[in-house]
Amino acid sequence: MFEHAACALLVTAADSLVLRANATACNWLGYSLDELVGKVRVRDLLPVGARLFFNTHCQPILQVQGSVAEIQVDVRNRLQERMPMLINIVRHREGDAIVDHWALFKASDRRAYERELLAARKAAEAAEAELKRLNAQLSAADRRKDEFLATLSHELRNPLAPMRSALDVFRLRAGQGGDGRLLQVFDRQLRHLTRLVDDLMEVSRITQGRMQLRRAPVELSALVRSAAQDMAETMKAARHSLRLFIEEGPIMVDGDATRLAQVVINLLTNAAKYTPDGGLIELHLGCRPGMAEIRVRDNGIGIPAPALDTVFEMFSQLEPALERAKGGLGIGLALVRGIVELHGGSIRAESAGQHQGSTFVVSLPLSAGAVCPAEAAPDHAVPSPVRVMVVDDNQDAAETLAMALELVACEVVVAHSGAQALALVGVADPALLLLDIGLPDMNGYELARRLRQLPGGASRILIATTGWGQQKDRERAFDAGFDHHLTKPIDFELIKPLLSKAGAG
Amino acid sequence: MSSVQIRNNVRISGSGSATMVFAHGFGCDQTMWRFLAPAYEGRFRTIAFDLVGSGGSDLGAYRRDKYDSLHGHADDLLEIVDEFATGPVVFVGHSVSTMIGMLAMIKAPHKFSAQIMVGPSPCYIDDGDYTVGFSREDIDELLETMEANYLGWSSNLAPAIMGVPDRPELRTELTNSFCRNDPEIAKHFARVTFLSDHRKDVPLSTVPALILQCSDDMVAPLPVGDFLHRQLPASTLHIIENVGHCPHMSAPTESSRAIDSFLAGALR
Repeated sequence: MFEHAACALLVTAADSLVLRANATACNWLGYSLDELVGKVRVRDLLPVGARLFFNTHCQPILQVQGSVAEIQVDVRNRLQERMPMLINIVRHREGDAIVDHWALFKASDRRAYERELLAARKAAEAAEAELKRLNAQLSAADRRKDEFLATLSHELRNPLAPMRSALDVFRLRAGQGGDGRLLQVFDRQLRHLTRLVDDLMEVSRITQGRMQLRRAPVELSALVRSAAQDMAETMKAARHSLRLFIEEGPIMVDGDATRLAQVVINLLTNAAKYTPDGGLIELHLGCRPGMAEIRVRDNGIGIPAPALDTVFEMFSQLEPALERAKGGLGIGLALVRGIVELHGGSIRAESAGQHQGSTFVVSLPLSAGAVCPAEAAPDHAVPSPVRVMVVDDNQDAAETLAMALELVACEVVVAHSGAQALALVGVADPALLLLDIGLPDMNGYELARRLRQLPGGASRILIATTGWGQQKDRERAFDAGFDHHLTKPIDFELIKPLLSKAGAG
Repeated sequence: MSSVQIRNNVRISGSGSATMVFAHGFGCDQTMWRFLAPAYEGRFRTIAFDLVGSGGSDLGAYRRDKYDSLHGHADDLLEIVDEFATGPVVFVGHSVSTMIGMLAMIKAPHKFSAQIMVGPSPCYIDDGDYTVGFSREDIDELLETMEANYLGWSSNLAPAIMGVPDRPELRTELTNSFCRNDPEIAKHFARVTFLSDHRKDVPLSTVPALILQCSDDMVAPLPVGDFLHRQLPASTLHIIENVGHCPHMSAPTESSRAIDSFLAGALR
């Protein structure tokens, strides 16, 4: 029954000398039964390496345990061909003698499969080792780069200080002449250079973990407003409109006020830089549970989708950015992210794509125990831009008032005479007008009357601004059709509710 | 339990004024001495242990850098002797452990009185005049065969499948713990051993030695025993009629007789 079994069956002595064999064994091994029994030792059919393995690892177990299973070795047939086999052996005592019962199964497919598995594993291990090596190399290179930048920025600072001093001396000596103009150029460029080096130094410090924060309670709405104020000149130079949407405070975070202001200024500077002149920039400050959120949005050149993540990395200015005159090293955003993350916050960039503007969103954790202030009362918020016209022949007065109004998200048009006001009112279509009474070409009361007669004039809010505050001046203003009367210098808080009304109306 | 005892699974038995230390060879652990060691418990304090990485030793203590040569195991042996041995020490090593013992004895000959080398070989690869070993290809094939077999051996379930028909007394003991060596460690150990060459250390060993050779052992064949006997000072060669590499298991009586007559001479 077992002669033609699907496996080779052998009975051997303890030294593997064949005592009995089935037909399958004879066929597979290529020997007749006579040639096998009492003449061939199975261990001699194993190649040397396999025989060594068998002797050192299998025999001991067979001796103590009485069995071994699933030994995978090549067995050589009579023609010295190798046949991959799977071998099980059970040891029996027959009287005084030890007898081993062998079963051998063909295992070529299994062997091939296992070889593939092993090869795949080796390849994976090699790949992993290579990956580790490359990562180590990258880390080392990255560290070297950071160290280089730190050293570089440090060294670059040294010549800048004496250059600064020398330049200041020259300027004092040169006065206003031709040389003076050249020195102005020199001065601007030196300041620019110094700023670049300072930025480089800052970002080096952050990447090397050496930036120290001076933490204290910081009220964000005041900080953000003040940063916007600092940017007023820059915005004006590029004719950008900067609108603020700032929730009423206190919005408290635990942080370094100087660094946080640096963040806001940096984002606003970028917005101004990467938006064509006459653009629209918004600065929002809001509050969610546990987090304060600062958003800077512009309608400038935008950011293509693949760059949204990398834009915070050093030296990753978008190509092609604006012309070289706008310059910079591409460090600003890396610095901003570094500072924000040191505060435990995060920053992300959003953009619908090229030429479709960008929004940068900074999230900062509120101070422990701080909560979002209640929503600001509606009549002190200015949700939608109110169109305002300021009419005053005093240019400085008109400009500063216009700037203040823009900071509360008004669209402002300025006129310096009655005639100009009348000419512009149709196009500008202001909801609210602040008219100075003492205009050069007509008095303000006359202007008001005329404005009322123009299309849309009845619904506009007219506010008289005068230097005189007595009762009769007020009555005269109301008679002329003004809705309100304010004395100069104007208390801005008094205008705000009027703006809300104009916005709502 | 001391850290050394845990690390090497040290078992102490017997009693006597001298100590006998048993160090196992390949592919297994101190259970290989179960047929020979008990004969000495009446006369000696017997210490059996597992090499780190084998048997019940602390596998976590296996460090490739330490055990990249047999010296790592030799140092462990010296620590075991220092901590647990009393009186004169007789070292009994099998196969690879014969070299481990020899290295230990070269470092500290005063700690040992005699060494019993069962199936020793100082070098497994032929090299120039040394032709009693194997070819490099054969050794590579051995290591590849180990690779192919250890895929399944990490949980050798042979007893569970095959039973232990003629050894019922062994069945329960062996089912879970016998020869369950970690495959990666076993491969590393085999590589270290079969590629090592301690021929130049042999003449430095001065402790009296008994070379117990099997008559039909392909791992440590007779010519190797001859070579060793010629090179090893103070050595005695004894050949046991035995097929295979483990006379202490398949011919324990002859083995202990040879050991006893040697000790009677050596320890006088």
